[in-house]
Amino acid sequence: MGSSAKKKREKKKDFQKPKLRVGKARPKAANHTETSFRSKAIVLNQQSLHIEAPSTLSQFGHHLSLLSSRADAQRRDSLAYLTSFVTSRPVDSSLPQPLSTILPKIFPLILDGSSAVRQQSLRLLRALPRSEMSDHVAEILPYIRAGMTHLAADIRIFSVEVLAWSTDIASDEVVSCAGGWVKTLNCFLTLLGWHNQDSAKWSTHRVSFGKAGSEGKAQSRNLQVLADFLKAGFSTGRDLSETDENLESRCPFPRWHPEHHGLPKRSNAYGYLNLFGPPKDDDTDMLEDREDRIRVFKERFASSMEAGLASARKDAGEVGRATGLVTRALKDTEAG
Amino acid sequence: MPKRKLGALEKVDADLPNLQHKIRRDPTSYTEDFRAQYYQYENHREIFMAAPTSATDTGILSLRDLIDFVSHVADCYPEISKSFPQELIDILTLYHTILEPELREKIVGSLVLLRKKNIIDSTTLLQTIFPVLTSTPSKNLRTLLFAKILSDLRTSNSKATNHKLNRTIQTVLYNLLTGDRTSSKGLWAVKLTRELWRRQLWTDAKTVEIMKEAGVAENEKVIVGGVRFFLGGDKEREEFEEDSSDDDGIDVSRIRHQVGINKKRKKATKALSKATTAVKRKEKKRNQPHPLNFSALHLLHDPQGFAEVLFSKHLQNPKSRLNLEQKLLVLQLVSRLIGLHKLTVLSFYSYFLKYLTPRQPSVTTFLACLAQSVHSLVPPDILESLIQKIANEFVSEAAAAEVASSGLNAIREICVRQPLAMNDTLLQDLVMYKKSKDKGVMMAAKGLLGLYREVGADMLKKRDRGKEAALGLRSGQRKQQVFGDIPAGEIEGLDLLEKWKKEERQRKRLEKGLPEERSDSEGEEEKEGEEEDWGAWDIEADISDDSGGWIDVESDKEIEISDEGEEESVEKKRVKLDVDLENKENDAPNTTETKPSNLATTRILTPADFAKLQELRAQAAVSLQLQKKGHKIHHPTAQSVPLTNSHRHMDDPLTAAEIEGLASLSKGRISREEKIAAQDEYKTDRAEHKSKAARKKERKSDEGKSTTNKEKARKKNFLMTLGKAKQKGKRSLVETRKVLKVHSERGKRGGKRGNR
Repeated sequence: MGSSAKKKREKKKDFQKPKLRVGKARPKAANHTETSFRSKAIVLNQQSLHIEAPSTLSQFGHHLSLLSSRADAQRRDSLAYLTSFVTSRPVDSSLPQPLSTILPKIFPLILDGSSAVRQQSLRLLRALPRSEMSDHVAEILPYIRAGMTHLAADIRIFSVEVLAWSTDIASDEVVSCAGGWVKTLNCFLTLLGWHNQDSAKWSTHRVSFGKAGSEGKAQSRNLQVLADFLKAGFSTGRDLSETDENLESRCPFPRWHPEHHGLPKRSNAYGYLNLFGPPKDDDTDMLEDREDRIRVFKERFASSMEAGLASARKDAGEVGRATGLVTRALKDTEAG
Repeated sequence: MPKRKLGALEKVDADLPNLQHKIRRDPTSYTEDFRAQYYQYENHREIFMAAPTSATDTGILSLRDLIDFVSHVADCYPEISKSFPQELIDILTLYHTILEPELREKIVGSLVLLRKKNIIDSTTLLQTIFPVLTSTPSKNLRTLLFAKILSDLRTSNSKATNHKLNRTIQTVLYNLLTGDRTSSKGLWAVKLTRELWRRQLWTDAKTVEIMKEAGVAENEKVIVGGVRFFLGGDKEREEFEEDSSDDDGIDVSRIRHQVGINKKRKKATKALSKATTAVKRKEKKRNQPHPLNFSALHLLHDPQGFAEVLFSKHLQNPKSRLNLEQKLLVLQLVSRLIGLHKLTVLSFYSYFLKYLTPRQPSVTTFLACLAQSVHSLVPPDILESLIQKIANEFVSEAAAAEVASSGLNAIREICVRQPLAMNDTLLQDLVMYKKSKDKGVMMAAKGLLGLYREVGADMLKKRDRGKEAALGLRSGQRKQQVFGDIPAGEIEGLDLLEKWKKEERQRKRLEKGLPEERSDSEGEEEKEGEEEDWGAWDIEADISDDSGGWIDVESDKEIEISDEGEEESVEKKRVKLDVDLENKENDAPNTTETKPSNLATTRILTPADFAKLQELRAQAAVSLQLQKKGHKIHHPTAQSVPLTNSHRHMDDPLTAAEIEGLASLSKGRISREEKIAAQDEYKTDRAEHKSKAARKKERKSDEGKSTTNKEKARKKNFLMTLGKAKQKGKRSLVETRKVLKVHSERGKRGGKRGNR
């Protein structure tokens, strides 16, 4: 008796609308949480108060650190700043920081998701002094190879460009560093889809996963770069004879073979001894001799390469022409 | 705009999970794609290995993603990913301290995944991650690795015991403990072993050997871990088993009901079949014969050596760095070993002398340990001085009541195990405390008195002996115990079985119409009849008769039966040499009782016999209980085995609480808070007192069910019922008659719903 009215009231309570009145503050919700606070002073943790503008050197360092920023635009802008800094610095002045600290920051950007960042990073690499870059080619190669097998087609195409650039500036180092010959060729085979003779016959067997770029054009470019790379591998390497003569002419009789007694001309001259690195196997071996490279090529790559070329030749147009370049490079092997 | 586009591109381009899914469905078509990603992984790995400390996240794909991807599909391309497991193992073992935590966990997870896919075997996995477990400074990684190791061992032992793996891991653990005894790394061995023991995956002697090594280690934590295992590991195991058997968690009938009601779905039917199989499996497991698991203390190889080493290394050694609590643990273990295995470590008892004072912290534990370590083969003269000391220090008029009662309890516990350690003057002194005003002391003294009435009544004063003991003494039935005298072991309840057999035989003979006692000539056929009987038993016991069955080795039984009378008398003489001849007639029934039954030595007991034996034993126990309830009757078997706590098992430890025991009675008036606390112990979890109907109503409303019509009627608004009530007065005679008729009809029927 009477309980129903009470119950009704109780039920009603839940669905009552708050009454809004003009000119009054809006009533607070039941679950309102007070978040305001009072403080005597607000301390900003990171503020730098300098009267003078930061020096160009410190700015260089700052932008270098910003290369690992999360924002794409920030990375691109920092790269642009660094590029302009490097190009506009006075001739003969050295870089504010050594290459060995700059380069490890730039290399990961080869695999960056943003194409603008990638392009800018290549521009920066091109701007850096060529002569010094050749010593660091061995470090960039893993990034290039990772790019060549990347799921994203754009990154694959881009990293071939980077490989073309590095073959251009330091052809000898690219093919003779540890893993430079075997692993890079493996990546090429994967890139072109020539890995076994079966897969070369069927166009569907190519790496097709991920978003395809402009396929035909990329394929011809890949073949061009492969031709360059093979040419670099099958060439005799640095022409030592000339320098020898120079030295011999400069040094008089009692010194024999001065090039062997002088300081080495390249970095890591005894790298082939592999004193500090991880143990080498077939894939990561350093192939410094042209003969070695030809031997390994004939053992492991020649057959699938030829099968791939045979099928690629049938594609007319640009691809067919590029195939011609590779074939010529291979012919040089047999000739030499 | 470009930003957004890029985000979408990233998603589509580097979609490893998508590729993984496609590879799973059709591995051969995606070989080239996998190869590309494997090169990708290798290059990323190379980048990582060049600078493991400064590894940055490279672009869209990280090494972590690639490892995850490759490990998920590695089983599809064993040729390409041949070196993958070894590379992971190398990274983990070399760089586990500097790897970033997420990558590290991913590598561990991938290794476990590879193990699940059978690409690497358990031994390799465990030998990789166990060293990391013991050496990593990261707590998170340790918990992860421990869980992984445990789960791997569980899964590899789930179908059948993987002896090879177990042996390998046990050897690793053993070597970890013995290799460097001072390091605390051994704690991992202890933890792992204990956990596996608890789960009954490891139940063999080798496991116990590992824990034994832990017990004699140099590191305190490891020692305590090992000792605690021996003291509590078995109990933990039992509890775990009970727990796991309790929680079924699956209510099949409920699921079936739901399937019947709800829309039919494949998922629901699958769940039902799964639940049914799970329950069936559990049922099957429950019905299986219980695996015979020995306790750790029994599996110990060379308990004497172990006890001696523990004692000399941790207790006697002045350089031992254990604190009192840890020492007490070791002491408990040593004393249990001594008591259980009846070892002889003579210097052990004198070790107690300096600790037996009331001021010693946790002295009750010391007392319990001392009592626990006493057994029937301890020389009484060693114990005598200890008992004297306890009596002097604890039991005096000046000592507090609690102290005296715990001292008396300790003395009783010692004397239960070695009654010869007491001399009569001391005993008589101690027994005098039965007149103490304090209840605790009084009860303790009475306990001692009761004990000696059974085991050595002649040491008591005449008036303390009690009727039974005095009678027994006079009749000579109770004899003096001798040091080192061990009664011959027998099968419990065998006399009951023999008696039962005899009765059966007599019954059969009576049925046949023969006299109750058999003559010699009838022995032959009797035996044959028995044999037939035996065959029948066998079939009942479900044992195939073709495979030989039970061989009846009874050729000389006939002779035995024939001269039973003579034999009895001979035996009588042998057993009771000290009985005087005048009492011989009185003795006759007693001697037949004490004669060891020769049933087990002359016959091979069948499984059926054992079943009957079990039944008889249970029967006897029940009848004994009943007798005790009615009025106290002295049972002959209870006399031979004096027990303080009625059914103490050999394996159960004696605790300090038992020594304190009655001391709680000695404490002064308990405070109000303590009273409330004691009351609370008996409280049930019921929230409030309510009528049955109210509780039912509550339950119904909780389940979301509505009220009954009756209830609705009762709750009906008063105003609504008014109309009907008014109507009642205005009814015409015919209407009233109708109503009354119906009412009387209903009464005859017996209520609304009828009485039929």
